[in-house]
Amino acid sequence: MPLFRKVLVANRGEIAVRVIRTCRVLGIPTVAVYSEADRAARHVREADEAVAIGPAEARESYLSIDRLLAAARAAGADAVHPGYGFLSQSGDFADAVKGAGLVFVGPPGDVHRRMGDKRAARRLMATAGVPVVPGYDGDEQSDAKLVAEARRIGWPLMLKPSRGGGGKGMRVVRSEQGFLEALAASRREARGAFGDDAMVLERFVERPRHVEVQVMADTQGRTVHLGERECSVQRRHQKVVEETPSPALSPAQRETLCAAGVAAARAAGYVNAGTVEFLLSPDGTFSFLEMNTRLQVEHPVTEAVSGLDLVRLQLEVAAGRPLPLAQPDVALRGHALECRLYAEDPHHDDLPSPGRVLHLSEPEGPGIRVDSGLDAGSEVSVHYDPLLSKIVTWGQDRPEAIERMRDALRRTVVLGVVTNIARLRAIVEHPAFAAGELHTGFIEEHLSELSPSPCPPLEAIAAAAAALRRRGDARAGARRSAPDPWASLGAWRLGEER
Amino acid sequence: MRLRCGDRSFDVEVRDARDGVEVRVDGRAFRFALDPVGPGVFVVREGARARTLHLVRDGTVVHLSWGGVAYTLAEEREGARAARRLDSGALEAPMPGRVAAVRVVLGQRVAKGEELLVVEAMKMENALRAPRDGVVRAVHVSTGDAVAPGRPLVEIE
Repeated sequence: MPLFRKVLVANRGEIAVRVIRTCRVLGIPTVAVYSEADRAARHVREADEAVAIGPAEARESYLSIDRLLAAARAAGADAVHPGYGFLSQSGDFADAVKGAGLVFVGPPGDVHRRMGDKRAARRLMATAGVPVVPGYDGDEQSDAKLVAEARRIGWPLMLKPSRGGGGKGMRVVRSEQGFLEALAASRREARGAFGDDAMVLERFVERPRHVEVQVMADTQGRTVHLGERECSVQRRHQKVVEETPSPALSPAQRETLCAAGVAAARAAGYVNAGTVEFLLSPDGTFSFLEMNTRLQVEHPVTEAVSGLDLVRLQLEVAAGRPLPLAQPDVALRGHALECRLYAEDPHHDDLPSPGRVLHLSEPEGPGIRVDSGLDAGSEVSVHYDPLLSKIVTWGQDRPEAIERMRDALRRTVVLGVVTNIARLRAIVEHPAFAAGELHTGFIEEHLSELSPSPCPPLEAIAAAAAALRRRGDARAGARRSAPDPWASLGAWRLGEER
Repeated sequence: MRLRCGDRSFDVEVRDARDGVEVRVDGRAFRFALDPVGPGVFVVREGARARTLHLVRDGTVVHLSWGGVAYTLAEEREGARAARRLDSGALEAPMPGRVAAVRVVLGQRVAKGEELLVVEAMKMENALRAPRDGVVRAVHVSTGDAVAPGRPLVEIE
């Protein structure tokens, strides 16, 4: 008996494809949803059926609870997998799915809400004995109170909107002088973005690492961790390269950190797959940052070292089954890396670069996994996240995983849209990366001045010219009555010197 | 032909050679054999070494990947176009586009290679040059005109 009659995947792109694959293996039929921009997308074609849910704008399609539920009802789905992003951390969506008599593959709505409020989450963690960054998470939000708390915490400090994410409204304040001004700006941004201007103050940690713990909890009260991931290589609070295990942790530190992750999940009353994010200071102390109440983009590295299928575990837990393994059964082997391939231009301020993928060649080979939602011909739309695909490599140790990643990136070809492949290569080929000397400012410190995109070497230009002529030949041959003038002229003349 | 990369421009000449082609890029010669493998993929053989070239064309823009690095080149086609029109002295629009500039007037004496007009296509400006020395006998378009491929633009006598 399959776990569900039919699963609706409320997402798009590579994660929708990835969820569909596990469902297929488990014998569960799938329903894809798509906006007008995604009519022919890969996730639409890989699902058993697909339902149109509206125009390209996410607000009217992938973010529309009503339309998603209508699609689920129409298709006869009995479960909804939210993927990541979009509505995956929406308590309202989780509740609405449940209210419609369907199963939400993720934690219940109240858990999303509890962990989505930074003040509440911090207080909860502190009472559960999980270390938090020294700071202020109280309800009193007057200027005078915040100034007093800021003095107590010390400079520099971090201003964070209590509700929010994606770095919006976050500010580092270096001294008391600029504090009130920064506070006003952060409040303004938070009000605009999240409709709530409550702030959290936290001591700013210099050169921190970002380390997170993957947890998995079932409805019968069992919570396990599947090790940690280090995601320090970031660009504007956006992860770029992730790995497991973290090269920064000793076995003893790892055990403490992962136990803290499990404690955090238990305190939150957590169910299903979740991730507890921590900041790791250069002195080795760690503190709770936030909890992501969903499957994480970088979950494949955990799958690579654990041999587990996290989406399968999610579906089993959602179906009410007990976790099939206890903590001692979790065996992590080797090292895994993930590089996120984005349609953005590292030579131009990382601006998203929409367009059509004209040619695509994805790497394969021992220890290489590519999670992709792309096809040659795919339109990269301005409406959605610029993440194109994820390249994951596994090795028996970190150097082997890095070597495989270097090789995989060299063999990744995307033509037609500008991607960050050159930056990914620069990162994994950097000596500081090989040494595991990572922190969240790694890219700014080592690679902010990525050398300008070079012109091809002369031999490549020669090969390109010969290839262009070959194509011209082919066309001229196909339409003999009207030869392509470009292909038959000057030094290109057909039959010349034959 | 000319291939442009940013503000650098490369003069390229391709001719058949024994067992392949000889390509001169800015005077430097490369000899190899090139064969298509599949859509957008070519094998480049040089002695015992075979390498992969990925290449697709989008209008006059050429996207290629060589040695794991992606590059973009622009084809400058006016040389070929000019050569083709040696006999008639008439210059036609090489691609659908918009006339961005007309540099000559009726009766003007022009030298071979002189820029006659500029056609904008695919967000790139393409200079169209005189195929030979002569006098401008007709100017069929003005700045801002949309042109279809093959439409006569300028005639030189």
